Amino acid sequence: MSISEKITKTTTPTYWEGEIPVNYIYTFGLAGEAFFRAIKDKGTFLATRCEECEVTFVPPKAYCDRCFEKLEKYVDVGTTGYVETYTVTFRNMDGSAKKLPRILAMVRIDGTDGGIIHYLQGIPFDEVAIGMPVQAILKPKAERVGGIEDIVGFGPPKR
Amino acid sequence: MVKRVAIVGIGTTGFRPVTPDVSFRELIFEAARKAYSDAGIEPSEIGGFVTAAEDFLEGYSIADEYCPDQIGAVLKPTQTIPGDFLHALATGYMMIMTGAFKTVAIEAHSKASNVKTIDDMMGFALDPVYNRPLRETPHAIAGLEMTRYMFETCTSSEQCAKVVVKNRGNAMRNPYAAFAAELTEKDVLGSEPVSLPLHRLDIAQHADGAVVAVLADDQTAQALGGTPIWIDGIGWCTDTPTLEMRDWGEAAYARIAAEMAYRMAGIANPRGLVDFAEICDEYSYKELQHMEALKFCNRGEAADMLESGATSLQGELPVNISGGALGVGHLFEASGAHKILELVEQLRGHAGARQIPDVNIGLAQVWRGVPTATGAVAILSNM
Repeated sequence: MSISEKITKTTTPTYWEGEIPVNYIYTFGLAGEAFFRAIKDKGTFLATRCEECEVTFVPPKAYCDRCFEKLEKYVDVGTTGYVETYTVTFRNMDGSAKKLPRILAMVRIDGTDGGIIHYLQGIPFDEVAIGMPVQAILKPKAERVGGIEDIVGFGPPKR
Repeated sequence: MVKRVAIVGIGTTGFRPVTPDVSFRELIFEAARKAYSDAGIEPSEIGGFVTAAEDFLEGYSIADEYCPDQIGAVLKPTQTIPGDFLHALATGYMMIMTGAFKTVAIEAHSKASNVKTIDDMMGFALDPVYNRPLRETPHAIAGLEMTRYMFETCTSSEQCAKVVVKNRGNAMRNPYAAFAAELTEKDVLGSEPVSLPLHRLDIAQHADGAVVAVLADDQTAQALGGTPIWIDGIGWCTDTPTLEMRDWGEAAYARIAAEMAYRMAGIANPRGLVDFAEICDEYSYKELQHMEALKFCNRGEAADMLESGATSLQGELPVNISGGALGVGHLFEASGAHKILELVEQLRGHAGARQIPDVNIGLAQVWRGVPTATGAVAILSNM
């Protein structure tokens, strides 16, 4: 695909190596802060609910994406839910292989239209099924910092 | 008043896994020269230019500033859309319909082989607060969706593997394709697991290449001669970016984009009227899910339609005869470009060994890939 003259040596094409080192902070916002504060301090999940549209948002949003109204009422929706879907992942974000595959699930939180994407813990792969009930496993309170990794994963519900 | 908009010229480099000899700008230059030659027009005669690119993919902040030179757009009305080629096509269509432009050139390319950390780059698209901290492969989002799609539609991994066999086999007849291969379902299911039920061969591999197309209003198209390929319908749609609030089984973004395009084209019965389609198969199951969203069949019937042979070259509604993204290569924002290229070649009757006989209406559909829920649909005809 050379423009005018054919390149005849495969070692001829050259390049310059570059990188773009950019770092960010990502502001939680009002709804995100409420959500992570509840996990950190109370060990529970908060949602916002739009009564008009009958939609319950987890993670909570400060506005309803359907009727476009502001949402200010937070409700405690607990930490139980069910497996909406799942996958067994063998690679990390950078493409490298995991030492051990992990089961990642989209967990629909009970009584809500949202959920949390996290790992299943203590459930063998051949026993995982769509619809199976699960409950969040959180880190001990002293270790929680306010972030999605305060959740260790989801396991069988505690009775 | 402008009544219709046509594609009057198209050019491409073809698609390769690597292109170490040329820069991305030279790739585009080649495609542009071919497109302008095909249309019989000089870039100086073109009214406006629209390119599709995304900063992270290009490795530049404000990548759009690096587009004009190689398409002949210096000191001309030019804009870059951070979306697929089909979004650029929609923009070019609208520019011409205003009457302010007689001709518009549109461009998209992929130089994926230059991105050294392409997995990380795709991972950076995940929500930084709720999803990215797990440092999961972005393919896991597709794995989650595939499980749910298969559950809701009673589709099997074997049936998804048949999409790969069909499309990579189709690519054997496409000289532009990077990944033509004669595979078996066993090859697909036996390839390494990436995010089960997704195996390595269920996932389209990246390729490099560029496509440029020239659009014109009906009068200009007739004056230029050749075979104008008309844009009869176009639609696009985006679902919420919040993965946790999504419907994980259905591709609603594709259904709604298709409804918009069908309405514009006056198509009430897609299966009866669309002669062939190039649709997004960046993951094997996506072709089946998108067939249902495009109303080629009812929900849960796509795998049966595939197995019946209806979507093969000889079938009643051939799908991804080019080889699709699985066979041609995953081209990021140029994904829609290779689909439009295939539609134009088929509708002109220039598709050689893979020519589908007697075609008048073709459909192109794209999805912007994980974790997006953005899709676009275009309907082209040669009548």
